[in-house]
Amino acid sequence: MSPARRNPTLAAVLSAILPGFGQMYAGEWGRGFALFVGLPAQAAVFYGVGLIWLIVPTGMVWAWNIWDAACAARGGKCPATGPVIVLLALNLVAAWKVTDIHAPELQKEQRNVIGQIIGGLARPDFVERRVNEQTATAKYIVPGPGAPESVEQKPRVPGKPYLSVSPRKAAKGERVSLTGSGFAPNQSGELILLGADEITVGEIETDAAGAFKATFDNPRYIPGDYFVQARVEAAIGGWELSETLRDAAPRMLETIYLALIGTALSLIFALPLSFLGARNLTSGSPLLKLLYGLTRGLFTILRSVEVLIFAVIAVAAVGIGPFAGVIALAVHGIGALGKLYSEAIESIEHGPIEAIRATGANQFQVVVYAVVPQVVPQFIAFTLYRWDINVRMATVIGLVGGGGIGYQLIQYMNLLQWRQAATAIWLIAGVVMIMDYASAVIRERIG
Amino acid sequence: MLRIEHLTKTYPNGTRALVDVSLEVPAGQFVSIIGLSGAGKSTFLRCINRLIEPTSGRVWLGDEEITAAGPAELRLIRRRIAMIFQHFNLVRRSSVMTNVLSGRLGYAATLPSLLHRFNAGDHADARANLQRVGLSEKGQQRADTLSGGQQQRVGIARALMQRPELILADEPVASLDPATAHSVLDHLEQMNKRDGMTVLCNLHFLSLARRYADRVIALKAGELVFDGGPDEIDDARFKEIYGEDAIQVEIA
Repeated sequence: MSPARRNPTLAAVLSAILPGFGQMYAGEWGRGFALFVGLPAQAAVFYGVGLIWLIVPTGMVWAWNIWDAACAARGGKCPATGPVIVLLALNLVAAWKVTDIHAPELQKEQRNVIGQIIGGLARPDFVERRVNEQTATAKYIVPGPGAPESVEQKPRVPGKPYLSVSPRKAAKGERVSLTGSGFAPNQSGELILLGADEITVGEIETDAAGAFKATFDNPRYIPGDYFVQARVEAAIGGWELSETLRDAAPRMLETIYLALIGTALSLIFALPLSFLGARNLTSGSPLLKLLYGLTRGLFTILRSVEVLIFAVIAVAAVGIGPFAGVIALAVHGIGALGKLYSEAIESIEHGPIEAIRATGANQFQVVVYAVVPQVVPQFIAFTLYRWDINVRMATVIGLVGGGGIGYQLIQYMNLLQWRQAATAIWLIAGVVMIMDYASAVIRERIG
Repeated sequence: MLRIEHLTKTYPNGTRALVDVSLEVPAGQFVSIIGLSGAGKSTFLRCINRLIEPTSGRVWLGDEEITAAGPAELRLIRRRIAMIFQHFNLVRRSSVMTNVLSGRLGYAATLPSLLHRFNAGDHADARANLQRVGLSEKGQQRADTLSGGQQQRVGIARALMQRPELILADEPVASLDPATAHSVLDHLEQMNKRDGMTVLCNLHFLSLARRYADRVIALKAGELVFDGGPDEIDDARFKEIYGEDAIQVEIA
């Protein structure tokens, strides 16, 4: 690097005054410039984030810089590993401060959230038992002015749940006995006093014959007639899809389709453009070269803007819903797919093109016979891969209002329905895994 | 039949691949072009059908000046000139049949050809040419499932589809083993002797040139250094073309 040796003392003095100058004097321009700009910048950053004490260890790097200048002037090999590690460590400290990492927070109510989510993940709500609610009602009287003298006891129907009450009349606080029969055997349920304010007054367990006995202390004091109901929820065998799944599955499907249509729209635009973005097809004329530059520029711009940003813009433009998600995926996808397609075209063998051209074929025939067969398998692979990525992306853009399962998920979370949220997360994970695997297998096949 | 005047090609990086080459080839001749790798043999062939644009000089095929032709005219001339390549240049993923039919693209109407539609005559030709090169069973196979020698024979069938007057063969056997090389060159010889096609064939091996060519021309650093009968190349000539240290290698 440094052809002529320089005076080490002078180099050291220069670097002591202005960091990096000694290195520049010794011919190490890159390192000299990095030190000259980098050290003051580091000090400024540490001052700016309010960690003035970090400037002291930064001074150690400055001291090293003096030694390094002398070393460079001698023309030796001067390792910079130590100061690089020191600066990295200092910046980690600054980063810790700036990002506001505050471990105790994890133990407050957030821990509850994490616990809820993990709990939900452990028992996702995919299916539930199909249940049949059995009820039987009986009437009793709180005696007093205006209360009926007697109540009619419902006739008992064999095989149907039946509830009888005794005594028929009970003042407040008096104990009432209930006898039930005809319920599903070995189930649990509850006793409820009907009325404007429904109160649960006891729990019941049916025996092997489907009968039970229970008592409660009458809480009603206003004279009149009252209904007491025995309610047993019997699992009648079989499982059914949970309500969460019935809500979330269509949203998941929406996400998959959203990704599909987004990919398809990207494909429609990226496919023709990609031929203009392939250098090997656009070397013919200055106009083609210009088109190449413009196309590649467009791809780069579209690709470098995150899908999420497009999604926020699209939601502002067309409102919350899957259409916004489609726009975001399609626009970003044009850039991503276009670049991959162009590179696939650029990597084809030139020989077949030459051979087809030599037969007197025109440009269209050259593309169809020599270019297309070479790129189609790669195009299919890239498109599948994009769809796969878009399903994952679509989930995220759903969070900002782009429709699909992501939108459902954020709603569950906003309503603190952690178990439902966890179910949606499982659903997403499952679909992504399946698509991942399927697209890998297909790409393998056509490769 | 083929007339070349002062053909020169200088690449943008300054490499002088061809320097003032003039040559006249009568119809029906089998001309072998020999020379070291990088002597300009491939450039020479590609300047004839303008896969590479010559820097200066003129080329005539019959009465038509190739070097003055516009794009449409050039395509019409290219139909009359078939080309065979060292690496066969088949479209690997396409079927053998499609590769053979593609030799007919210069004659086919654009739109049907883009939909892979060829007329019945072209299909019959393709079958006949595949039979001629001994691959009539292989039509539906993918081109890359064939061996090197078979692929080159597909290349020959593709060339035959053009019914060319001139064949440019760029190292057609350099990627093949000696036995296969002979079978490929025998096909070229047959096309020359039986069908009367003029052949320009780049060859590495002088022994092959001696065996097949009516006339040998030699290029060295882009210049024409020899033009004569295959028997006129003695040891002195040989060293002139290939350099002092070269020794002759026989290929059986």
